[in-house]
Amino acid sequence: MKVLTVDAGLQRADVLTVKVPLASCTLAAGASRVLESVKKTLEKLGLEATIKKVGCMGLCYLDPWIELEMRGAPPAIYANVKPEEVEKIVREYVKGNLSSALVIRGGTHDFKNVPTLDSLPEWKLQVRFVSRNCGLVDPESIEDYIRTGGYSGLKKALKLSREDVIEVVRKSGLRGRGGAGFPTWYKWRVAYEQKSDVKYVICNGDEGDPGAFMNRLLAESDPHRVLEGLIIAGYAIGASRGYIFVRAEKPLMAERLEIAASQARDYGFLGEKILGTDFSFDVEVYRSAGAFVCGEETALIAAIEGRSRPRQRPPYPATSGLWGKPTVINNVETLAHVATIFQVGLEEFTKYGTEKSKGTKMFCVTGSVKKTGVYEVPIGTKIKTLVYELAGGPPDGRAIKAVQIGGPSGGCIPADLLDLELDYETLQSYGAIMGSGGLVIIDDSNCMVDVAKYFTSFTLAESCGKCLPCRIGMKVISEVLEKITSGDASLEDLEVLKELGESIAKSSLCALGGTAPNPILSTLRYFRSEYEDHVIKKKCPAKVCSKLVRYEIDPSKCRGCTQCAKNCPANAISGSPGKTHVINYNRCIKCGQCLIACPFGAVTKV
Amino acid sequence: MVKIYVNNYEVDVPPGTLVIDAIEKAGYEVPTLCYLKGLFNEATCRICVVKVNGRVVPACKFPVSENAKIIVDDSDLRKLRKINLELLLATHEIKCWSCVRKGACELLDLSKKLGVEGIPVCSECSLREHSCLVLKGIPCLGPLTVAGCEAECPRRGSPCIGCRGYIVSEDVWAWALKNLYNGNIDLSELKSLVSFFWTYLPQNLRRLIEEVSSNNY
Repeated sequence: MKVLTVDAGLQRADVLTVKVPLASCTLAAGASRVLESVKKTLEKLGLEATIKKVGCMGLCYLDPWIELEMRGAPPAIYANVKPEEVEKIVREYVKGNLSSALVIRGGTHDFKNVPTLDSLPEWKLQVRFVSRNCGLVDPESIEDYIRTGGYSGLKKALKLSREDVIEVVRKSGLRGRGGAGFPTWYKWRVAYEQKSDVKYVICNGDEGDPGAFMNRLLAESDPHRVLEGLIIAGYAIGASRGYIFVRAEKPLMAERLEIAASQARDYGFLGEKILGTDFSFDVEVYRSAGAFVCGEETALIAAIEGRSRPRQRPPYPATSGLWGKPTVINNVETLAHVATIFQVGLEEFTKYGTEKSKGTKMFCVTGSVKKTGVYEVPIGTKIKTLVYELAGGPPDGRAIKAVQIGGPSGGCIPADLLDLELDYETLQSYGAIMGSGGLVIIDDSNCMVDVAKYFTSFTLAESCGKCLPCRIGMKVISEVLEKITSGDASLEDLEVLKELGESIAKSSLCALGGTAPNPILSTLRYFRSEYEDHVIKKKCPAKVCSKLVRYEIDPSKCRGCTQCAKNCPANAISGSPGKTHVINYNRCIKCGQCLIACPFGAVTKV
Repeated sequence: MVKIYVNNYEVDVPPGTLVIDAIEKAGYEVPTLCYLKGLFNEATCRICVVKVNGRVVPACKFPVSENAKIIVDDSDLRKLRKINLELLLATHEIKCWSCVRKGACELLDLSKKLGVEGIPVCSECSLREHSCLVLKGIPCLGPLTVAGCEAECPRRGSPCIGCRGYIVSEDVWAWALKNLYNGNIDLSELKSLVSFFWTYLPQNLRRLIEEVSSNNY
């Protein structure tokens, strides 16, 4: 934790303050029931206390957590709180006993067995630049945001000329955080130079990658930051109207952004003649029924217009976008970066990152790791650091096999390449993409062909069907993969996969098709032996592909307890009590129930 | 006017011209399928892909830029076009025999042009176990028809299923014709059959027939 600068007044309440995180992720983990329980407890104990609803701090494995703070005691965070535990937690904390807390946020205290938040690697190694407020402020309160320096960036920007605002962004070297890493200032400059009566800015909050949720987290926990960035972008290019494009599947995100916009309107940060200048700007939160392709900027524009399909670029949106007008589209995180850069200054931003890509990036680490969560680290951090030190590595007994970076458009980086740095160019040269920054950790219990099959089924379902290579090519790829996992393929099929994948990537219309074969091509590149095992030996080394595995009963271990036969849904196991059981392979559907049911470990998967 | 290079030939075109028009102006041709000038221009079929400054783009939708270097055809592009056409054919219900177009078909013309060989119907047929009649020495029109003739299947003793046969090389054609000719069909019948069925003809089929009939083969 290096950058976090929160107004001290915000942290220290005179009486007891209970912070409860309310974002989609914590609500899913049961935060609303915890909140109810907190309310009841405080009433029961007759404590004078404030309940503060905050956003999520990104440490998902702690959800739901609560934070208690009181004068005279350091703020303490309790993790994985169950509603029935709340009373005990509050009682102990009020008495000054912090020993059951997970971490203590800071300050001096006597509880040596409780670590401070700053000593945890997953917190210490982060550089929380855009996520600085996440989990600390009330996302539905503009006062909270202003107290942490909010909207000071907008005030600074409005004092500059439009060219100077773009110049600041150019100097920062900020690149789009949505995936491709296109220089943000360049889009702005092109749109700024267009002569048009109307211009638009759009915040892209579509975020559809499985395993990526940093935009949702950011917009739910600190919506004003996104909004401030959008207003600055609007000012820079001379737009009069902004859209925030949110999936209807993320209702809380849309709601919080709407609340933020209406509060900003009340405070004069939005609307006519913002802060006494000539600049008038307003935003609308646009809810779209989710389609993965809408994350692509031309499809997103088309979705607002009413027909969500990408179109061939050029013209680029910056010259002819929404309703044919110059339009700048930036990702949620990019805009939050813009706001923060203007708030805290360029130097704070440019001191992190690599030569070509400055600043920090939020990464979602999910899958087979101990500590799933959203971690903000400088660009150029090693994958290994992120996966092993911040996220705690794989669960005990498992080893990491690959890391899928960038969702279904990205690629698999094998475990022996985890020394790579997370930046746009490095990842691209190794067949993955930064994407929105989702890292799905795949451990050795997974079959890479199966992983490729999963991502293919995703892109196949999400393909809009407009252009031919993506629509039919991905279908053919999925059929070939099905053939491989069924053991019906030949080595020629692997060549077909490669040739077809490369062809789809080259000739597709939009980025969805252009990147859709990445999971196949990258697994083929790094895990070819696994594909060959499926094809030649007709074996799935990870024992995942059900058509290539078989369950066997070891006669020396079987005691004839009949558990396997009882649990078999297909009646495929015969044998009487006390005698060795036998699987009838003609009936076996390979569901694996016998393996789970056997108390003696006699059933094995081969 | 902007200066561009089509296959290294310098051409001057108005700014904003589509690559496809520029190529036409330079005297080259690029195969298209979904593009209908002035009517449909959505760049969906990706058959007209060309390289502009090394980047693969659809010619029908991409505007030229100053000093753009356009490559109309190379092995890469040919491969992309061929794969895309094959993908399209993979979902196309190939029933040329009952198709109203009766051979006036851009898809088939394009298949010829891009060298996509006829895909034998046998591989799609529900009666896949059929073996090739020609291989058995039974005269059939499989190799000559593109997609059958609504004739009865060989299981019922009929000679033709319109399997589109082994259209691999000229030799096979000649061999098939010879087999037919040696059967119970005479030359005039063979000629009329060949011209009656809409066929995927090699260019010099006429010569082949002549050769076969004159026993020169």
